[in-house]
Amino acid sequence: MKELMGIFRLMLHQKRDIVLSIIFGVLAGITAVGLFAASGFLISKAALLPPIQTLAVLIALQKISSLTRAVSRYAERYYSHRATFTILSDLRTTFYKRLEPLVPGIFAKYRSGDLLARIVGDVESLQNTFLRVVYPPIILVLVFLCTIFFVSFFSLSVALVLVFGLILTGFIIPGWFAYREQRFARSVRARRGELSTEVTELFQGYRDLKIYQQLGNKEAELNAVAARYVAEEKRNGLHAVSNLALNTLATLVISWIVLGLGAYLVADGQLDGVFLALLVMTSLTVFENAAPMAILPGFFEDSRHAARRLDDVVEATTAPEYRPFELAQAPELSTEHVTFTFPGQDRPVLRDVSVTFPAGSKTAIVGASGSGKSTLLQLLLRMYPADGIRIEGTPGQEINPEALWKQSNVVLQQNHFFYGTIRDNLKLASSEATDEQMIEALEHVGLSLLELDDRVLEKGENLSGGEKQRLAIARIFLRQTPLYLLDEPTSSVDALTEQTILQHLFARAADATLLLVSHRLAGLETMDQIVVMEQGQVVEVGTYADLMAKQGAFYALKQVEQSVFTPDQLVR
Amino acid sequence: MNPLKGIITIPRNIFIQLMLAAVLMGVAVIGQSYLIVIIVDRIFLQGNPFAAVIPLLGILLGMLVLRVGVTYWNGRLGTSLAARVKQDLRQALVAKYTRNSVESMLEGQSGQKVSILMDSVDEMDSYYSQYLPKVIQTSIVPLMVLIAAFSYDWVTGLVMMITAPFIPLFYIVIGIMTQKRADTQLEKMNAFSGTFLDTLQGLTTLKLFGRAKAQQDVIERSSLDFRDATLTVLKLAFLSSLMLEFISMLSMGMIALEVSLRLILFQSITFVPAFLMLVLAPEYYLALKEMGAAFHTGRGSVAAAKQIAAELTEDDRSVAFGRTELPAARPPRIELKDVAFSYRDARFAMEQLNLTIEPYQKVALIGRSGAGKSTVLQLLAGLADPQDGQLLLDGQDRQTITESSWFSQLSYISQHPYLYAGTLADNIAIGELREASRPAIEQAASDAGLTELIAQLPNGLDTVIGEGGRGLSGGEKQRVALARAFLKRPNVILFDEPTTGLDVKTERLLQEAMTVLGREATVITVAHRLHTIEQSDQIVVLEAGRIVDRGTHEELLGRESEYAMMRAVQRGEETR
Repeated sequence: MKELMGIFRLMLHQKRDIVLSIIFGVLAGITAVGLFAASGFLISKAALLPPIQTLAVLIALQKISSLTRAVSRYAERYYSHRATFTILSDLRTTFYKRLEPLVPGIFAKYRSGDLLARIVGDVESLQNTFLRVVYPPIILVLVFLCTIFFVSFFSLSVALVLVFGLILTGFIIPGWFAYREQRFARSVRARRGELSTEVTELFQGYRDLKIYQQLGNKEAELNAVAARYVAEEKRNGLHAVSNLALNTLATLVISWIVLGLGAYLVADGQLDGVFLALLVMTSLTVFENAAPMAILPGFFEDSRHAARRLDDVVEATTAPEYRPFELAQAPELSTEHVTFTFPGQDRPVLRDVSVTFPAGSKTAIVGASGSGKSTLLQLLLRMYPADGIRIEGTPGQEINPEALWKQSNVVLQQNHFFYGTIRDNLKLASSEATDEQMIEALEHVGLSLLELDDRVLEKGENLSGGEKQRLAIARIFLRQTPLYLLDEPTSSVDALTEQTILQHLFARAADATLLLVSHRLAGLETMDQIVVMEQGQVVEVGTYADLMAKQGAFYALKQVEQSVFTPDQLVR
Repeated sequence: MNPLKGIITIPRNIFIQLMLAAVLMGVAVIGQSYLIVIIVDRIFLQGNPFAAVIPLLGILLGMLVLRVGVTYWNGRLGTSLAARVKQDLRQALVAKYTRNSVESMLEGQSGQKVSILMDSVDEMDSYYSQYLPKVIQTSIVPLMVLIAAFSYDWVTGLVMMITAPFIPLFYIVIGIMTQKRADTQLEKMNAFSGTFLDTLQGLTTLKLFGRAKAQQDVIERSSLDFRDATLTVLKLAFLSSLMLEFISMLSMGMIALEVSLRLILFQSITFVPAFLMLVLAPEYYLALKEMGAAFHTGRGSVAAAKQIAAELTEDDRSVAFGRTELPAARPPRIELKDVAFSYRDARFAMEQLNLTIEPYQKVALIGRSGAGKSTVLQLLAGLADPQDGQLLLDGQDRQTITESSWFSQLSYISQHPYLYAGTLADNIAIGELREASRPAIEQAASDAGLTELIAQLPNGLDTVIGEGGRGLSGGEKQRVALARAFLKRPNVILFDEPTTGLDVKTERLLQEAMTVLGREATVITVAHRLHTIEQSDQIVVLEAGRIVDRGTHEELLGRESEYAMMRAVQRGEETR
């Protein structure tokens, strides 16, 4: 239960809607009971041939209660759903508030891209907590209490039977099923995960599986895993079916007891027979409110699971306090014996890296993919915590990453573009940028064809890889900073455009310290230094001329690059 | 209503059982109501002693148990049916996918196929476990109740019969009236609900620009907009249930009024039928309302059903093989004859493709991206069937040759080899290589330059490498693929050269390995390395799906070819 404390707290913010929905929910519940009790009484009374006025009053009462019931039901639904969606909104903002300080460091721990989709899903399943878990018992108890109070005027013992029924259908049976549900739900999720892995493997390995003639085996394996998943789901489904059946049985048996007991009391002369039908109808109707209790265990378990997973993600981490950090001019960056391993992995990405980037220098970092170039850049940016980083002599741990980013121009390999317009996406970099400045920035990256009002879809999926890279560079052209950190900013841009963009970039960054992770070795002649990385280690540092003369690692890389035939890059 | 009709047939006996369950349900509902009425009547009006109704109470308990039993049975049937259908659908889909040729598997988004196999099939659950049993039940039970009502009191029966059609009618009318508004709201809802994910995905970018805090307001605003849009749709739904409630309440009130008036004023009805009508009426209208709700559930599954049906009824694009064994003593002569091929999304159409590759030849396929190099490789590998023309192996049509005799002499080394969850040794000895001896595997691993990696791994060759081969770098994965080839010693090697990013060591290793393996095999390469290209016996230049030139390096340089031009430009860039 303690996992759900957070969401309970959020519910308290929606007091008004919640109270309104409870009022209307209870009203709808008791008018329904009243309606059916009245019809039972009506018909019994009618059988005794009463004066017609009595009957008219009863019928009028009945009409009013049916109207009240329908309208209250509508109001109840409206307010309870409004509360639910407002809670969802609060959930998103509170969770965002907790997640925001942890980004991007958290991505070192959860590298899978579906972490975010999972978060969204979990937040959405938490929205059900109010409507499906907290709300039904409240209504159940209140309607029952009213009914029991009403019934106690006629017969205390029948009222007691109803109390027993409430405890049984409202708490004992759902509680027991909720307890068992935990195990089922977990194994269904596990089996689903297995199937999903198998399916993904089938698609990713399709060609190799075909050539090695393993498709048949894979198909059989996949079907077996699918069968296990379906069997588990079926078990879970049957569990829900028996839950429902048991709950229905309990309610019907309770009504049966009410009838038997009532009949006994009437026969014994302790109860007026005209109330017997009333009591039976009351009992049959009041248990309608117990129906949502049958699905409660499932939602309860879902909510708990979602809350726990979300808590795991944003586990209590407090943001440290930093002293103000200002970069007056181009800073010196350095690493001393930096070794770094991503959490959960056994091999280090960087091993004993010591390198200095002097103030105002222009450095290229080169090496094969997977050699640790990007990680080095990210550590310098303080995106992940590591020891041994210094910026202008200040140890990395003491620098507020956000203050550092504010004073840097960064282009990563993956740059996000939001749903909106080109203007919206450019203004991220500088809210003061004028249209003229933005148009100019677009010109400098060769995107003058784009209008500022052009639409950008989610993740910029209507832009090509090269366009996205150029747009990311256009963004940093709107800011003037003393530090530039660029991770393969032009890998999808053709050579000619790349040259013009880099020229402008270097002109703008003339006084800044600049680090460029480069996928190409051409055009590095003018760099102050080149850092060559291999399998997480720095193997060479020097100018282009030095390294070429040395005929070492850089020279070898250059040979490889020259041996690649690239018609795409050349003729465009 | 269900697009899967004709694809999934529900066994007759399950249908019969569902009908039987519905009939028994009707019996239980009517029996329960009747017995309650009789008991009340005996005690209240006839003043019988309690002992006289005990047997009736016993039967009533039996009826209640029957009602619950039938509910359970019905639920069981539905759940089992759904399980069975889901399994059948997955099997059919997987069979369909594995039959398909590689090109159609790689074409389009495999993510979408995964989602159909996982989510769409799951979405079919409610259709079979909830909707179908419910529809059968709600079409039989009200009918039985109606008959019971008619046989006791035709006036009430008539009221029930006249009011009943209003409920589905209202559902339809309100549905039509609100559909359009709901649709426009739905679009808005999708846009708003996407904002949260979009923001989370871009959080790194936002933080780098110091905008993360401000984005909180955007999330809040869009969530509240989402709430309002959703509520607009829900209000329509609530309104329709309000109307239905009114109709059923009015009808029930009408029945109550009618029977009590007749009971008192006209005395044309007695207590028992009157009370019975009163008890039956709610059961009747409840069932009708449930029918409406069930249709709602059913509609939700239709989109998923459509997707699955579309996938299953799509034309097969399988690759045909035959029964003749291809001798494995030496590489076959490979010949593409008048081959035509085009993709469904029609980037280009290949026509009249002719290419002959002699045994042990080294062939380089070159051209810009999208020129059709990979497609030619797929066709040569027998991973796609020509739509016209033939692939001849030693003069025999590939379609007449057995699949196993062809694939067992072929290796395909791509940039993204598939590694499955298992030990490194298992991954090297994949497929028919499984019989390979341990020393042979070790030798292959060392030939492929894996020795150093194996020494680093905790359990050496027996280290489990994760799903999809996580934990290995791109270069290491390539070496595993090479080790497979060393173990297999194929007659034909198809090789898609990496374009960039390999480390110098892997690069050299790949080149050496190809030389060694190439001594005993025909090697066809999608070539990006000048080294490979220059040493080829045949360079094939592709452009927009056509072979525009072919020859050796010297021959092509010697004349004014596309190749010569490309080389010149490349040189120019290098010296600039």
